[in-house]
Amino acid sequence: MKKAIIAGYCRSPFTPASKGQLAVIRPDDLIAQVVTGLVDKTAVNVADIEDLILGCAFPEGEQGLNLARIVVHLAKLPHSVSGVTINRFCGSSMQAIHIAAGAIEMNAGEVFICAGVESMTRIPMGGFNCLPNPTLYERYPEAYISMGETAENLATEYQIQRQTQEQFSVKSHAKATIAQQKGFFQDEIIPIMTTSQATSINQDGCIRPDTTESILSELPLAFLKKGSVTAGTSSPMTDGAAAVLVCSEQYADQNHLPKMARIRSTAVSGCAPEIMGIGPVGATKKALQRAGLESHDLGVVELNEAFASQALAVLEHLSIPENNLNIDGGAIALGHPLGATGARITGKAASLLQRENKRYALATQCIGGGQGIATILEAI
Amino acid sequence: MAISKVVVIGAGVMGARIAAHISNAGISVYLLDVVLKNNRNRNQVAETAIKQLTLVQPAAFMRPANARLITPGNIEDHLDKVAEVDWVIEAVVEDPVIKKNLYQKLNLLCASDTVISSNTSTLPLSVLIDGLPETFTRRFFISHFFNPPRYMPLLEVVLGSMTESEIVKPVLKFADYQLGKGLVYCKDTPGFIANRIGIYWLQCGITHAMAMGLTIEQADAALQPFGIPKTGIFALLDLVGLDLMPVIMVSMKKALPEADAFQQMSHIPELVNKMIAKGYTGRKGKGGFYRLNTAGGKRIKESIDLKTGDYHTSIKSLDADDSEITCVSLQALLLDDDVIGDYRWQVLSKTLCYCAEIFSDIANNITDIDKAMILGYHWQWGPFELLDELHVDWFVERLESEGRAVPELLKQKLALYDRSKRTSSYLISSGQYKAMITPPGILSLSDAKQQNSAVLENSSASLWDVGDGVVCLEFHSKMNALDFDTLSLIRQSIDKIRQEFVALVIYNEADNFSVGANLKLLTTAINRQSWHEIEVMITEGQETFGALKYAPFPVVGAPSGLALGGGCEVLLHCDAIEAHSELYMGLVEVGVGLIPGWGGCKEYLYRCLHKTRKTMGPMPAIIKGFNTVAMAEVSRSAIEAQERLFLSSTDGITPNRQRLLNNAKVKALALIEGYLQSEPPVFSLPGLSAKVTLGIALRGFQLVGKASHYDVVIGNQLAKVFTGDDCDITGIVTEKQVLDLEMKGFMALVKQGETQSRLEHMLSVGKPLRN
Repeated sequence: MKKAIIAGYCRSPFTPASKGQLAVIRPDDLIAQVVTGLVDKTAVNVADIEDLILGCAFPEGEQGLNLARIVVHLAKLPHSVSGVTINRFCGSSMQAIHIAAGAIEMNAGEVFICAGVESMTRIPMGGFNCLPNPTLYERYPEAYISMGETAENLATEYQIQRQTQEQFSVKSHAKATIAQQKGFFQDEIIPIMTTSQATSINQDGCIRPDTTESILSELPLAFLKKGSVTAGTSSPMTDGAAAVLVCSEQYADQNHLPKMARIRSTAVSGCAPEIMGIGPVGATKKALQRAGLESHDLGVVELNEAFASQALAVLEHLSIPENNLNIDGGAIALGHPLGATGARITGKAASLLQRENKRYALATQCIGGGQGIATILEAI
Repeated sequence: MAISKVVVIGAGVMGARIAAHISNAGISVYLLDVVLKNNRNRNQVAETAIKQLTLVQPAAFMRPANARLITPGNIEDHLDKVAEVDWVIEAVVEDPVIKKNLYQKLNLLCASDTVISSNTSTLPLSVLIDGLPETFTRRFFISHFFNPPRYMPLLEVVLGSMTESEIVKPVLKFADYQLGKGLVYCKDTPGFIANRIGIYWLQCGITHAMAMGLTIEQADAALQPFGIPKTGIFALLDLVGLDLMPVIMVSMKKALPEADAFQQMSHIPELVNKMIAKGYTGRKGKGGFYRLNTAGGKRIKESIDLKTGDYHTSIKSLDADDSEITCVSLQALLLDDDVIGDYRWQVLSKTLCYCAEIFSDIANNITDIDKAMILGYHWQWGPFELLDELHVDWFVERLESEGRAVPELLKQKLALYDRSKRTSSYLISSGQYKAMITPPGILSLSDAKQQNSAVLENSSASLWDVGDGVVCLEFHSKMNALDFDTLSLIRQSIDKIRQEFVALVIYNEADNFSVGANLKLLTTAINRQSWHEIEVMITEGQETFGALKYAPFPVVGAPSGLALGGGCEVLLHCDAIEAHSELYMGLVEVGVGLIPGWGGCKEYLYRCLHKTRKTMGPMPAIIKGFNTVAMAEVSRSAIEAQERLFLSSTDGITPNRQRLLNNAKVKALALIEGYLQSEPPVFSLPGLSAKVTLGIALRGFQLVGKASHYDVVIGNQLAKVFTGDDCDITGIVTEKQVLDLEMKGFMALVKQGETQSRLEHMLSVGKPLRN
């Protein structure tokens, strides 16, 4: 049976929604530039690409229609490349990778671009026209629970104090700062041109190198009057895009594409919406089982940091040495452009396997509404 | 020539705020000041001033974005910018040598017809132009703004004999029409008009209060019935800055003749010198005569003891009686046989005599003095109008009985104004009267009221003929609160206009257009549990405003000041609005536990649905409208009211309050030709799903402590109106159905104890209760 591998990864810089440099760029233009960057970087023969699978959490407005097909045209890919837009909220672009891997293994294509994008500036979280089902809301309001509230629920359930969350955030910023200083993001970032071609944006904008526990302790509570979660212990609203090239191992060999990592197993799982942040636990356990691995086998872990309390709650269940966790920083520091994050952390995990010379990597994230998604990669 | 760019030199309090106000007219302005020594940022002074402008209260900018119209700079690197502009305003330190040096440079750099003016408050023009060439003096004048320039409508203008009126005319027109200033032409004398009199009055107030042993609260309260604003004497001095007093006094003493009565009133009390030395310079310092003690986390207003200099908690004096002030009551206040009565008489008689003595030295006529004090010191009456209120003969006889000198102007005991004829006239030195000529573009409701009797009237509102077939509906209840009488007069007016007139303007000359519905009436009905009566009140309002909207003639609202709640709702039903630039408009009903019930939700929702720029599905417009009403947002200017969609883009904004009625009338007349009666709107609303979305958002606000439990209850009622409640997104909601939703929400809330607590709190404290 064919095996799917990661053969390339890149992303745009991640910048804060509304205030950041990417705010002025349409999300379709943004992801098109990243896709072009991936094609250039991997030198993949575009005629061979089966599909552009594009994740987006709020696919409306400028992210609307079948965004993936629009991006095929914007990126000047051949008409033969088809496009599908998929939505699993924050897990969308990791799901794109899973779909590609599944297709490759059932011999339904050789090469796929798996991407994700979110302009949280231009399309608000929740979309412009959130119209929940009134009957469901009456019967089961948790189906529509806000993300911040779920973070508070986990903080309460796992007794994670505010200070502990802030310590976690400070570490995330510190790791990202060091990675940025060492130039670890240079390889993965595609400089983005503004529409006027006046500026090239090539630096992440969310990282706060100078943040401290003391600074964070001053921030007001963001979601609950007597809670513990603040903007400082939440991932920021972010604009960004990421893309991963997924192909069969055989195709990579034949076409001399880089073989970054093999996709060993994948999983999704559901959990109660009000503690959606715990989602990675169930998904990771399934993925580990399917890979025949234990958590101590994982040398690299990319656990998305939607909230510090959420990540800390997950870590209560999965024993992951700190050195292996989010080595170049997580979403609290880098930002979390919803639809793009899955591609970022999977691509990142693949590149870290190579850089850190480890055998197995996990990329996992929680998903609003009560879900988790996980991917286990194996060094080649 | 239109004014398109301005330079202000001097980024002190006045210079910076003048720059801000010029930006309020949509005009770009450079703000230049000196370069600080040892500072790498050469624009530091101007940049800091602009930053301060964004924080200052009351707000200097009519909308925050105006700050971007001010470019900071310095006089070493950027003085050449004066070559690009039409008007240069100098607002540097009050030193003639520094000013004249600057003028010489400006004269070389400016284009030949660029107007240059000084904002000096003390230096005469003759001193400033002494030795300067004709190329300068021909385009130079004094433009004296009052602080804060956005809010104080007075602009004192001193033209020199060399000033060429054709050159400065565009600037004066700009100041009048676009900056909204009331121009008063002054003679070139120290302190010009308003400060010459104002400072004399303030000095009188302090000196006599100290001599008579009054507290500052007593002194300030004593003068209020005479139309002096609530700031009184002492709070005004705190606002101006105590440290300025000695500076002004030295300058005035030096400049005025020895025989001038000012000289006797120019002594700075020892207490004031001590306060200045200790940094108690007023609001900008640690405090002044009044201060806010914030120790212990509470804000306690304290007053200084004029004898000991110690502070004590302020004792709230009883506000001036609400009852109508009459000549008899004013005289009686001056005759009070106690120290307060004596204080009033001493301060007022001396001030009014001083005005009468010097009027011809400082002004062209008494009307300019009255105008200056009304616009510059916010007096209800100018000094000569006040003399008429008191009756000149009574005033003079009392002076005579005390053996005091009677000013020449008053000796014949003639009234200062003759308002018996169609055109009013004023007294001149010869003892004759001269007709007052209203300049073109100004229409005064007071004049119209003097010339005609009311077309219709009752205790809360009146209808006046303002010419050319246009009538003006005037509210005149307390705070212009709307009640059954108001609604009834609107109904009667509609019938009347249909028969006899062509258009209606809704306007009044009070400080505030209307604070909303009369809450006392509502609480009385609540106390009686007369729910039916309240339903009638709502129906009556809805139907009356509906009748206004569907009247077969144009209706133009012309608000100024507060237009809240019902006052906002009546405007939302007009065909068009001509607003004074100082308009504070909003649907604030949630503050008293209610939602707008007189069609305000319906009209505002319609505006949001049709005028929200991003028409991306049904929700953005609904969220915008809902947020504005749920948070009781009030515009901080007319331009902001336009941004919040209370005003439409075709509505007009008039910066000069005195031009408002005329502009509204012109707007109404322009609408007559081809006037089409409004068609009832239909709404397409998303219904229950949208209500859930708003409910989720409300819950989020409650969780984080930004909304109380009862805020959420009110919000949910409001959400029903803004979403169409249980309608389906494919259906149509009629105007009547939205009005019914308003009624339903209003009635549900009005029966709640929390709403009643909010209402009672508002009536007793004047501020909203968050319960």
